[in-house]
Amino acid sequence: MMRTVSAAETAATTHPWAVHAEGLRVRAGRHLAVDGLDLALGTGVHGLLGPNGAGKTTLMRALATVLKPAGGRLTLLGEPVDGRADLRRVRRGLGYLPQQFGFYPRFTVREFVEYMAWLKEMGKPAVPGAVQRAIDRVGLTAKADARMKTLSGGMLRRAGIAQAIVNDPAILLLDEPTVGLDPEQRLEFRELLRDLGVDSCVLVSTHLVEDVVVACTDVVLINEGRLVYQGTPDDLVTRGGSGDAGDSPAERGYSALLRAHRAEAGR
Amino acid sequence: MRRVLGIELRRSSALGSALVLLVIGVVALFFAEGIAFSEGWMQLAMTQRLYLALLWPLALAAGAWQARREHRSNVAELFASTPRPRAQQMVPTLGAMALAVVTGYLAVGLAGGLWIVSTARYLPVQTFVVTAVGLLALVAAVWLGLAVGRLLPSVVTAPALAVAGLALLLSIPRATRPRGWLSLVFSPIESMNMPGAYATVPGRVSAAQAVWLAALALTAVLLFAAAGWRLRVAAALPLVVGAALAIMVMPHQNRFVHDAVDPVAQALVCAQGEPPVCLSRVHSGLLAEVTAPAREGLAVLAKLPGAPKTVHEDTTTYFPDRYPPWREDVVLLNVVVGDDGHLEDKSAVLADVVSGAFASPPGCDKPADLADRLAAAYWLIGREPAGVQTADPLEGQTFDPAIMAEAAELWQSLRALPAAEAEARVLALRKDALACTAEDRLMSASTR
Repeated sequence: MMRTVSAAETAATTHPWAVHAEGLRVRAGRHLAVDGLDLALGTGVHGLLGPNGAGKTTLMRALATVLKPAGGRLTLLGEPVDGRADLRRVRRGLGYLPQQFGFYPRFTVREFVEYMAWLKEMGKPAVPGAVQRAIDRVGLTAKADARMKTLSGGMLRRAGIAQAIVNDPAILLLDEPTVGLDPEQRLEFRELLRDLGVDSCVLVSTHLVEDVVVACTDVVLINEGRLVYQGTPDDLVTRGGSGDAGDSPAERGYSALLRAHRAEAGR
Repeated sequence: MRRVLGIELRRSSALGSALVLLVIGVVALFFAEGIAFSEGWMQLAMTQRLYLALLWPLALAAGAWQARREHRSNVAELFASTPRPRAQQMVPTLGAMALAVVTGYLAVGLAGGLWIVSTARYLPVQTFVVTAVGLLALVAAVWLGLAVGRLLPSVVTAPALAVAGLALLLSIPRATRPRGWLSLVFSPIESMNMPGAYATVPGRVSAAQAVWLAALALTAVLLFAAAGWRLRVAAALPLVVGAALAIMVMPHQNRFVHDAVDPVAQALVCAQGEPPVCLSRVHSGLLAEVTAPAREGLAVLAKLPGAPKTVHEDTTTYFPDRYPPWREDVVLLNVVVGDDGHLEDKSAVLADVVSGAFASPPGCDKPADLADRLAAAYWLIGREPAGVQTADPLEGQTFDPAIMAEAAELWQSLRALPAAEAEARVLALRKDALACTAEDRLMSASTR
């Protein structure tokens, strides 16, 4: 089988991890939503799981450089992220789909993705091609010239993914990207994720354990701002027993890991 | 950047803003108070500035309306993750909105320009300066609107800002009284109403206004692009410096624009051929309309001994009064331009020229009576004074019908006299008028 070798693969890697957090603390308002998190992520698709309030979105926002870490160390693409760092270079390598995806309703999909490419400081000659490719990859080709405000929820989500991937980011952060997608679209999205994970570090936050098992190379489970578990989907499946809550082996594994963590924290 | 600017132009409120300015501007220009700009380009530029009274608050509102988009569309989170610095992110919006108001204002000017293009001849550089200051005022307003709209992203911000802007413009003259010159610094509409034929805006006034407006625009940009309170406080600095500088540059003299006269606009331009008929440069486009009846008038006057040989436009300006040099061989003709840019009443030129021969020098205590002058003029022309609705060469007002009736009566009496007697009275009237001793009326009992 042949495939295109991307620039990221052949470039000399100066950093072992795309995302590296040590004792990371991040505030959400006054509350420390991420509290002493250790995490190292390389190339591949990482599914971020955790109950509501676990700190998933806060972690995503910190990795997107929207929130400043309150403590610990965070390194993205080999560059430290703290209050004083110039984040411009790191941000050029980021793609981010926030949980609340904001957009200009009067722009067409193509215009909005192009505008995002400009905000990401992409080289001028590369933009039109990259925009078209991103729109094609999320399956919005037919809607490329439709106004954003005319799109359905699922289409908006896909437009959000298109803007996130337009700059071929080395780190792609997708906060609940599958919300609003119908089953067929979710299947296509899993395909896209696998494709994206070939040469970038993709972190997908979701509540859908099944999505993670099928589409991710790696599972990250956090609770109360700390890392509970990091391993492969196959390993996650083995963690659950018949007594654990869930309709599938993966869900039972998820429940078992959380229960164990809560029990440990309670002691 | 150019592609993004193109997107912003298409998708922001830029297009709508330009259109609103165009429509409101054109309606004001043509219908608010009649057409005040028919005399020429400078009058058009100044009248456009006057209607900034409407366009300036509208530009403020347009900016505030546009700025609400950031808030409403909830893009802050997404955009915060991108590398382009905030100041640069603002450039397309600032550019698109500035381009919109500039286009709107210039399009209003174009509509006015088409109206006068066939009659207006004199296009001084100051016209462009006055227009440029108007453009700067609108750009500053739309940017200020963006800044305020960003700080207060609410539905009511735009209308409230428009009302506040209008109130500000209207209150500046009162707030700065008795220092009228101060209101000239801060209000781009000050002294722009009803510009006279030779009106101009002195360069120092425009320079001071430009300094202030540029400072206002800079403050607006800083406020709009600022992320923290420190930069927002710093944004007040250009405002203070700009105000101080503008106050220094502005001549501290009231009525500085009202009293300003453009000597080049006022200088005479003569028609080809003899006898000489000369109008001010600003009216030189009307020479073709004036020359024939004016020469006809001179031909009528040729019967008089020492008759005037030349017609000049009466380029008198008032407050302070400045008169053209007085010469007995020159008839001064007052030129009144109609709404269409042509002479208000072409048929009146002949009578105006002939009656002009019975005018008295400026500052005269005993000038010839107006009805007498008209009666004498029509006696020379050989026609009854009737149906003439023209301007009074002395007062710049339309003739009172009562005066016309009196002139017609006098004309009848004059005609009833033997020709030699009538001529003697007419000659005496001219002599008295020139000597400023017109104590006796044309038909007074004494036979001289």
